[in-house]
Amino acid sequence: MSNDEIFAAAYREHYWAVSRYVARRLDGRTLDVEEVVAEVFTVAWRRRADLPPSPLPWLYGVARNCLANAVRGHGRRRRLLDRLGNDDTAHGRHIAAGPEADTPGAWVHEALARLSPADQEVLRLTAWEELGVDEVAVVLGCGSRAAAMRLHRARRRLRAEIDRVRPEAPTAEHPCMTAPKEHGHG
Amino acid sequence: MADELELLRGADPVPPDGPHFGDGPLDHNAERRLERLLRQQEDRLPDGTGMLPGRFPGRARLLPGNTHARWGRFPSHTGARSGPLPGRPRARRGPGTGRPPGRLLPVSGRLRLAWGVVATAVVAALTLTLVLSGASTPPAVAAPRPLVVESGSTPVSLDRVAERAAAVAEAPGAPRLRKGTHVQSWSLGMSDDKPPITLPEERIVRWRADDSHTELVVATDPRHPGRPVLSDAGGKPHLVDDGHVLLDRTYPPSWSDAPPHSPPPGDPARLRAYLMEAQFTDTSLTTPQLLDAVATLLDHWTLGARQSAALARLLAGGEGLRPAGRVTDRLGRQGQAYVNDDGGVRRMLIMDPATGAVLGLESTVTRPEPAFGVESGDVMSYSAWMR
Repeated sequence: MSNDEIFAAAYREHYWAVSRYVARRLDGRTLDVEEVVAEVFTVAWRRRADLPPSPLPWLYGVARNCLANAVRGHGRRRRLLDRLGNDDTAHGRHIAAGPEADTPGAWVHEALARLSPADQEVLRLTAWEELGVDEVAVVLGCGSRAAAMRLHRARRRLRAEIDRVRPEAPTAEHPCMTAPKEHGHG
Repeated sequence: MADELELLRGADPVPPDGPHFGDGPLDHNAERRLERLLRQQEDRLPDGTGMLPGRFPGRARLLPGNTHARWGRFPSHTGARSGPLPGRPRARRGPGTGRPPGRLLPVSGRLRLAWGVVATAVVAALTLTLVLSGASTPPAVAAPRPLVVESGSTPVSLDRVAERAAAVAEAPGAPRLRKGTHVQSWSLGMSDDKPPITLPEERIVRWRADDSHTELVVATDPRHPGRPVLSDAGGKPHLVDDGHVLLDRTYPPSWSDAPPHSPPPGDPARLRAYLMEAQFTDTSLTTPQLLDAVATLLDHWTLGARQSAALARLLAGGEGLRPAGRVTDRLGRQGQAYVNDDGGVRRMLIMDPATGAVLGLESTVTRPEPAFGVESGDVMSYSAWMR
């Protein structure tokens, strides 16, 4: 197969996985996701000679850079962006307490949001993209051992944050909130 | 027994079996884009690089867009950072009070993409000029002109500045690193269908011992004290009084060990790595990237003498920064200018030659972009940092 055919095959096979990758990091805004994914594959097209036999982690790496480029800005934009990192919304604190706020999703996300961007990414890649350590290393452009170490540390920090942010021990009204509380400390 | 990864898996906001982006055949748009990519083979440059943004069909539509005004001040959160969940309500962020999120988001998304996708030169083209024509333009709104290097002044080499900075860092009582920033900036508010405008602001961020911090942003232009200032708070440019508070907010304790939130190191090599990480890149920073990274750093930290010395040494060790001579910055401070020209943008770093402290950074358009009505010499952004 020519490079172009290999590219087309990778595009068809992984288009939706890359879309999910981007959507998970772009607040799920469909329109924006589509545009970023278009950019990802445009970059991938230009670099199609580099496309590895297992292209998905590599495509995630391209997507990661596209997302970083998309948000890397100048002056005012950048400052505003950085402020968002400390914004209540980004930390999920704007969500009013309610029944759905007690679901694991809400506070797990809150715990995740408290971690550094690097920690968040290695955790997302592992949990949401379901990548193995070697694949995570491809995305992050580091060695496998470094990726394993990052994951290990990030997991530990996520655990600490989960322990910190998870809802108080259930009262009688919420006897069924079990799963998130089953894990122990450590 | 759910461990943290299982919990996280359960919180996947876009699961493969969810309503969006599930595996399956390509949709119409995806097919169309693939076709275009495969078809544009004849158009591409030999090495596949150096293509202008507009060449890609998928990109071309990023800039032209809806007809409603898009005052794109608000970037959305970064993928590398934390993010609210899809479908969650998004609190308004920052000074743009009164702007319904539903309108804000498409704006920010588009512009964020535009910034990411379009080369610096074209970004530069989204600059001012046109803007402030007309007799009714209030003086405080006037677009600033670039700083002028004093003719006949002797440039001071970065090596020399780095040496002095190192000496200062060793001296007793040298300034210490402080988290937070104090910066006066002039930057552009951009729109697809309206001329860009220059928005002057002063921002003070102070961190407390409990890791909470406060941020105060006021609209002010120190060059025109007491005069009304242009602001786009509320989504539409309008004049506000000098000193009008755009944002006064206290943030709960937060912590991060990642640059630029983690403390900057005091030696050049580690500082270089720090700045790379702050710019989300694993490759060496070009001079323009390095200068942008410096701006990012200084928007988070007020450097101590050690960090300033490390930064001066780092800058002296690179290429692409030309000593230009003495300037007086917009706050009336004297400094030495170091200039980099790249891709239609001139970045001018202003440093205190006695201490190596960075005083300011100015980005100026150097290549006219008639399509955007920008001319050479238009100032894109300017930041002046204070202690």
